[in-house]
Amino acid sequence: MATNPMHQFQVYKIGPEIKIAGIDLSFTNASLFMLLSAFMICVVLFLGTKEKKIIPGKFQLISEMFYNFIAKMINDTAGSKAKPYFPFIFSLFMFVLFCNMLGMLPYSFTVTSHIIVTLLLAIFIFIAVTVIGFLKHGFGYLKLFVPSGVPVVLLPLITVIEIISYLSRPVSLSVRLFANMMAGHTMLKVFGGFVISLGMLGGWLPLGFSVALTGLEILVAFLQAYVFAILTCIYLNDALNLHH
Amino acid sequence: MANLNDFKTRLRIAKEKLKSSSRNTDNDGNISSMGSAFKLSTDLVAHVAVGTIIGFILDSWFDTKPWLIIIFFFLGSVAGILNVIKTAQKMQKRD
Repeated sequence: MATNPMHQFQVYKIGPEIKIAGIDLSFTNASLFMLLSAFMICVVLFLGTKEKKIIPGKFQLISEMFYNFIAKMINDTAGSKAKPYFPFIFSLFMFVLFCNMLGMLPYSFTVTSHIIVTLLLAIFIFIAVTVIGFLKHGFGYLKLFVPSGVPVVLLPLITVIEIISYLSRPVSLSVRLFANMMAGHTMLKVFGGFVISLGMLGGWLPLGFSVALTGLEILVAFLQAYVFAILTCIYLNDALNLHH
Repeated sequence: MANLNDFKTRLRIAKEKLKSSSRNTDNDGNISSMGSAFKLSTDLVAHVAVGTIIGFILDSWFDTKPWLIIIFFFLGSVAGILNVIKTAQKMQKRD
């Protein structure tokens, strides 16, 4: 059981089974780690904003860095019109980042390695962006599907292609995060298993790989949170500043 | 008072700087190169998958198996490749 590389992704119930109207709402290890990451975000940001010093302490420095990072990213990609959406994108980035990073700890559970979690986030973003687009531009938002300067003969074809590419946004957004996290953690576990099975003689090579992969995984954990947030900004930019 | 005036000028300069930098530019931001590699690869796959799924759904609606799924598979591939080309062009323009 312990050598099965997929075992780490198993969701199991913690505590009693709760069923409301036929829907299983039991508290699982996934819920635990989601709550834990939300709690840790609150702790870091609370400690960071408790004392507002001119020379920041560790936590204040981290919080300010996150704030500046996201503020700059939103400004660069979506312009100043996207400022009201800062809280949402900041929470999104922090949640994905902390879930990914908590998953890097041994014996922990990676929430973002389950497609249902990432797909839900992505679908929420997709619907929100579509609603914002229609609110800001009315039916003019549909111009997004009709690029200018296309011959009339090709227009139906291009429109269908644009619609496909609009609909594939949530899919690519969620699959990217989920696949990266799951593949990375499976690979780590497989190499860990090689260390045990090859023993003292041949186990050193996979051990080295494991160490290198852990470093890569930490990079990927950060990068995926970043890509998730920046793509949200890009989609928001399409909805706010329609230029096609 | 001199101090206040000094502050006012500095505020004005800072506001102008912010205004000029907050102009929306037509790019994907400075997404790191590894990030855009992830974006390109998954986008290509996702477009094909979504095209095929749309074809499958329309096929079961209109009872035209297997024609729409074939057409939409190719449309999805075209959309994916076009999207990758667009993103690559944007990346080239930025450099």
